[in-house]
Amino acid sequence: MMKSPQLARFQSLIALALMIIALSVLSDKFLTVGNARNILLQISVNLCLSVGMTLVILTGGIDLSVGAILALAGAVAAGLLKNGIGLPMLGVHLEFTTTGAVLAGLLVGLVLGWFNGFTITRLGLPPFVATLAMMSIGRGLTMLWTGGFPITALGPSFGFIGTGYLLGLPMPVWICAALVALFHVVARHTRFGRYVYAVGGNERAALLTGLRVDRIKLGVYTICGVLAGVAGLIVTARLDAADPKAGMGYELDSIAAVVIGGTSLSGGRGSIPGTVLGCLIIGVLNNGLFLLDVSPFWQQVIKGIVILAAVAVDRLGTKRA
Amino acid sequence: MKMKPIQIVCAVAIGAALLFCAGCKPKAEQAVQGEPSGKPSGKRKIAIVISTLNNPWFVVLAETAKARAIELGHDATVFDSQNDTAREAAHFENIIAARYDAILFNPTDANGSIANVRKAKAAGIPVFCIDREINATDAATAQILSDNYSGCVALGQYFVQRVGTNAKYAELLGIVGDNNTWNRSRGFHSVVDRYPGLKMVAQQSGEFDRAKGLEVMESILQAHPDIDAVFCGNDAMAMGAYQALVAAGKDKQVKVFGFDGAEDVIRLIAEKKIEATGMQFPKTMARMAAEFADEYFKGRRDFPQKVPVQVELVTQDNVHLYTGYGRKE
Repeated sequence: MMKSPQLARFQSLIALALMIIALSVLSDKFLTVGNARNILLQISVNLCLSVGMTLVILTGGIDLSVGAILALAGAVAAGLLKNGIGLPMLGVHLEFTTTGAVLAGLLVGLVLGWFNGFTITRLGLPPFVATLAMMSIGRGLTMLWTGGFPITALGPSFGFIGTGYLLGLPMPVWICAALVALFHVVARHTRFGRYVYAVGGNERAALLTGLRVDRIKLGVYTICGVLAGVAGLIVTARLDAADPKAGMGYELDSIAAVVIGGTSLSGGRGSIPGTVLGCLIIGVLNNGLFLLDVSPFWQQVIKGIVILAAVAVDRLGTKRA
Repeated sequence: MKMKPIQIVCAVAIGAALLFCAGCKPKAEQAVQGEPSGKPSGKRKIAIVISTLNNPWFVVLAETAKARAIELGHDATVFDSQNDTAREAAHFENIIAARYDAILFNPTDANGSIANVRKAKAAGIPVFCIDREINATDAATAQILSDNYSGCVALGQYFVQRVGTNAKYAELLGIVGDNNTWNRSRGFHSVVDRYPGLKMVAQQSGEFDRAKGLEVMESILQAHPDIDAVFCGNDAMAMGAYQALVAAGKDKQVKVFGFDGAEDVIRLIAEKKIEATGMQFPKTMARMAAEFADEYFKGRRDFPQKVPVQVELVTQDNVHLYTGYGRKE
């Protein structure tokens, strides 16, 4: 049980090392401090989503709505910060500070994530269907909120979340590092974390031993929603704009990172450090392909092949083990 | 047992939805069947089919067309194809079945959309293409097109004037499967490639997207920190690229060129932060299409197949004449 995730991690580590060596040989721009910082910055959004996604997938579920939640959370925060909100019934117009807008964005993630968990546990919908529906609802709400136009010029204090630096590293990197550390501890060293693995390993057994499976699932989807909200704030701050179509397809990038990192889509097996490696592999690959100025047509093919290879190696490894 | 009330709520909701659908259906059929051969002149139904509403530029296009159609005394409905030819085909089938009188059409694909236009033509519904063309001249009643190629030729000339003939630059392409991406790129290169001293050190796709434009620019700056300019296939990518330059402290060093005439780029040109953009006129094109449809209803048939709408070069010198998506009125 404990052996296989470590093995998978070991294999992703080798894959990452090989890529880094190859790219360092092929491009003299690759192995520099600036570029390393750049890669960390660029994976931060995907990493944020993927931490939540890992927990969800560990329970044997899936969350297709993270990209849409990201867009809505960013748009709500930006809209409140820029225009405030009028409450005609009370005859007041509320203005928002940066902190208030950030909290509102996180709240959007929390509510939508919780609602995912609610429909999955209480209404018994399959996670694929429930979150697919939420993806559509979230996108629609974002378009309604923004009218289809980006909300721009949000100012430096909000922008700090995305473009600020602390001790030489960009803020998004710090935020992600903190989240990774937190949820790694939660997954490995708390009762909740052990239950997450137990639910994914064998849901029926978990139920029979008296675990409150529904509560654990509700918690996992809520966390995933909040983290999508965090990602939404980072994207919005980085662009200095909330783009209504932000995060489109990010759910798939995130699932890819989790799977490359050795987490099993059937649940119960995997880890957050593995997901960090998965994000790094995708980030290094993207960055390398740009540095080598590979044609955009080829980039998509190469990325697909790397995903296939990573998962195939993982499968072969676990079969033998 | 605990689930009971929720199940009841669900059952009631589904029942209500079914009833609603059942209630709607005969009406729709009636409308189709009960179509009189000679319609009363005056109010007609116009369908506006737009490639995607996920981009403010197209939202302006759709809203202006709709507003103008209503102004002219007609009903107008907007359909969003979500950049998907199959979805677009379904919209056309519904539009034909519901007997709309005209279609204002922004195609998703120059080749993939031809069949849809032919279907409408066979059903006797005139189609007016807006902004993007279809690669057929015998299907649509008229095509009102933004002249992307010439617009980017002008932009290329200004690029050479501003950047000089000895410099390094990067290009951010749009979606690589899109006609406009290549019309713009070819127009630009038809000028710039004549100067051997102008070296394109990177050409990557930012997929017409702001976030993607930012990321691609960040990576390009790692590989080529010494570039002098970047040409972007649309304004969303130009905004993303500009954010990347600001974050890297290179916004003074690298000159940014966009295309579209979006609101925030016009603002940044006025603030002398972005060099230039090609102003397209979505509002002009949309209004013209609605007016063409109106004239068609009144009996006009002699429409030119292609009506090119000029793209105007907006620079820091003439930006005061412009606003987002058009000239100041």
